[in-house]
Amino acid sequence: MLKPNAPLLPTPSQTIGPFFPQTFFQAGDNDLTRVSAAAAPSTRGERILLRGVVRREGGIPCVNAILEAWQADAAGRFRHPKDPECALADPDFLGWGRAWTDAAGGYEFHTLLPGGFTDAAGPRAPHIELAVMASGLMRTLFTTVFFPDFPGPNEADPVLAAVPAARRPLLLAQPDGEAAGCRAFRFDLQLRGGAETPFFVE
Amino acid sequence: MDSLPDRFDPWPPGVQPVVPTPGYPGTFTHSPAEAPIRRPAGRGQFTGPLDLDRKLPCDEMNLATPNPGRPAIGQLIHIAGRILDEDGRPVRGAVVELWQANAAGRYFHPNDTTRDAPLDPNFIGNGRVRTDAEGGFGFFTVKPGAYPVPTKEVWWRPPHVHFSVIGPASLSRLVTQMFFPGEPLNPFDHIFMAVPEAAARQRLLATALPPAEVGAGWLGFRHDIVLRGRAATPPC
Ligand SMILES: [Fe+3]
Repeated sequence: MLKPNAPLLPTPSQTIGPFFPQTFFQAGDNDLTRVSAAAAPSTRGERILLRGVVRREGGIPCVNAILEAWQADAAGRFRHPKDPECALADPDFLGWGRAWTDAAGGYEFHTLLPGGFTDAAGPRAPHIELAVMASGLMRTLFTTVFFPDFPGPNEADPVLAAVPAARRPLLLAQPDGEAAGCRAFRFDLQLRGGAETPFFVE
Repeated sequence: MDSLPDRFDPWPPGVQPVVPTPGYPGTFTHSPAEAPIRRPAGRGQFTGPLDLDRKLPCDEMNLATPNPGRPAIGQLIHIAGRILDEDGRPVRGAVVELWQANAAGRYFHPNDTTRDAPLDPNFIGNGRVRTDAEGGFGFFTVKPGAYPVPTKEVWWRPPHVHFSVIGPASLSRLVTQMFFPGEPLNPFDHIFMAVPEAAARQRLLATALPPAEVGAGWLGFRHDIVLRGRAATPPC
């Protein structure tokens, strides 16, 4: 049994830089519905496409940015011991995916519409956590995507409530038609300036 | 699984790099102008993917002597370390990704076109492993070369190795860089120097191991990485 050592200070963040290896990416990394590339996708929920463009100051597309998504399954559970209902979580749903932006700054994730849940902070509306890493970013940025389907839960969400009212709409994905038979949502990110995306810190 | 962190203190002062970062023009167009919004850490922050090795292959730890193939050009080195949390507990099963320039300071990446430093056909420079029960990881590689950054002011990156670590909670996610001790370019690097506290910068430096500990094949470096997160109940 390893004994814990003295408290340590965290290692500083640094930029991911412009050269994150393309060989690290495989088709399907941006698909949260599969626990592995070979696995069948989970069907316990509504399949959706989340897509958008990442822009920097001046509205210029951000190429080569990395986005990582993390979310609860369609019933609002995480397959992780820190979820009290971990044992009931969808075993076929990974809930994690990685996307990278193309030459136009575009990204997309294939996933299931998340479920809401209640934790210590209060009743959480269905949402997807996003981490953003890019050349020119020295710290990883964290933001959260909410959905227009849930006006009541959004109104009651304690994290959305922490955002100034005028900026809350920036965290709502917008209906964006259909793609391959499922609903698509658009969530654009503006890293700096203009309608700047709200980012969070704990 | 009570070893999973569920407490995330704010970053201690002087640890996170200053943003925007003096001397690094890209940070002035990418870093948010608005202050980040403080939120309570919730279930989405305490949790994270625990079995990512099914999604991401975690089996590349030898970057320097591919088989088949010839050894990469450069000084062969071994980097070993542990991934720990703020309580000093090993983080097992973390995904550790490493990428770096070759010995000539050139990345195997289509976007590295700023100068014609040579590519090494035997060195791609990317690896991914999963930490063992003690939080340990290791890579065989070569010491990367320095390279200039295409900015108006002359700026050379010192030799450095990029690390991306996916830990047990989404708040443990860390992207960082490892530097080599005693490099004359270190104090001129805007990215290294963006970390305000000297003691925090020190934690970005690898430790050179006595050659007798490592043997004649490689130079050895030790580098531990500490992720955010601790147990709500102090460990006894
Ligand atoms: Fe680099």
